[in-house]
Amino acid sequence: MRNERKIILIYVLTFLGILIWLGAIGLAPYLRSRGIGLFPFIYACFSPICHQNPSRSFHLFGFPLAVCARCLGIYAGILVGMVLYPFKRGFLSVRLPKITLFLAVSTPIGIDTAANVFALWSTSNPIRFVIGFLWGFILPFYFLTGLVELALHFHKN
Amino acid sequence: MNGQRPRLFMPALVGGTVAGVLSGIPFLNCLCCLWIIGGAALAAYLLVKDSPVALTSGDGALVGAFAGIVAAVVDSLLAIPFRSMNMAFTKRIFERLGEYLNEVPSQWNDWINRGTGPISIAWFFVSLLISAAIFAAFGALGGVLGMALFGKKTPPTAHGAPGPPQASPPPPPQS
Repeated sequence: MRNERKIILIYVLTFLGILIWLGAIGLAPYLRSRGIGLFPFIYACFSPICHQNPSRSFHLFGFPLAVCARCLGIYAGILVGMVLYPFKRGFLSVRLPKITLFLAVSTPIGIDTAANVFALWSTSNPIRFVIGFLWGFILPFYFLTGLVELALHFHKN
Repeated sequence: MNGQRPRLFMPALVGGTVAGVLSGIPFLNCLCCLWIIGGAALAAYLLVKDSPVALTSGDGALVGAFAGIVAAVVDSLLAIPFRSMNMAFTKRIFERLGEYLNEVPSQWNDWINRGTGPISIAWFFVSLLISAAIFAAFGALGGVLGMALFGKKTPPTAHGAPGPPQASPPPPPQS
């Protein structure tokens, strides 16, 4: 019972984390449009993990979001995956989903990213978003399982 | 998470360095967080390779998180020489955008000019801390994925906890 409470706490904290993460992505262009000086800090926080190319990003309030369309899709997918996680797996499962599932959803993002890098084709932002979403959707099923397993281990010790 | 766990340090160092270098080099960093996830998966692979016992997804998360922290340090150090190059690239993008927009907001220029100045030590450490936290989370994800890809299977027990290791290490020599 104590384990379950701990795991639910991990789930809630991770869920809040991704909500804050997505909120910050939208907050950056809002602050920028209002001329509030905090926006460079938010853009800078996301810069190590995203190229932030304005032409590959959705715009809000006239300014690009803090991450590109593909990254936004990944984070949106993670959020939806997290919402569905307890219904699909429950909280106590430590068995990872089949890796073939991960490989299947990784194939489109792998092909599209490689093709864009090598200039074979250029995908539009909505398609980048959808491909990122598909990939992001599956990630909580691995990530949370790993965290749960880690928490159970530390609890046991 | 078993008794005979291999050391996390070397796999985390190698995976994190690879991820940090690849995500710090201009142009290559267009793959966003994928380098961190890939580097952490590499760390998990190295951990599995050296382990005599079956490891769990928690081990993957742990080595991945450490690899992410190493990657943040390497990326932050690499950012120093590449910073001016990156800002020049960004400046070109904004100049291009300026051709399409009637008026470029003054904050943009302020932002770019701020970026071309010298890095303060305080800002370096603040950005390193933020990067370390973000990279550790992505690293944990990559580590779990790496464990799913390369890990040896452990049969879960009925109550959901991972089962005993498949291979037992030899007993220590009696002196």
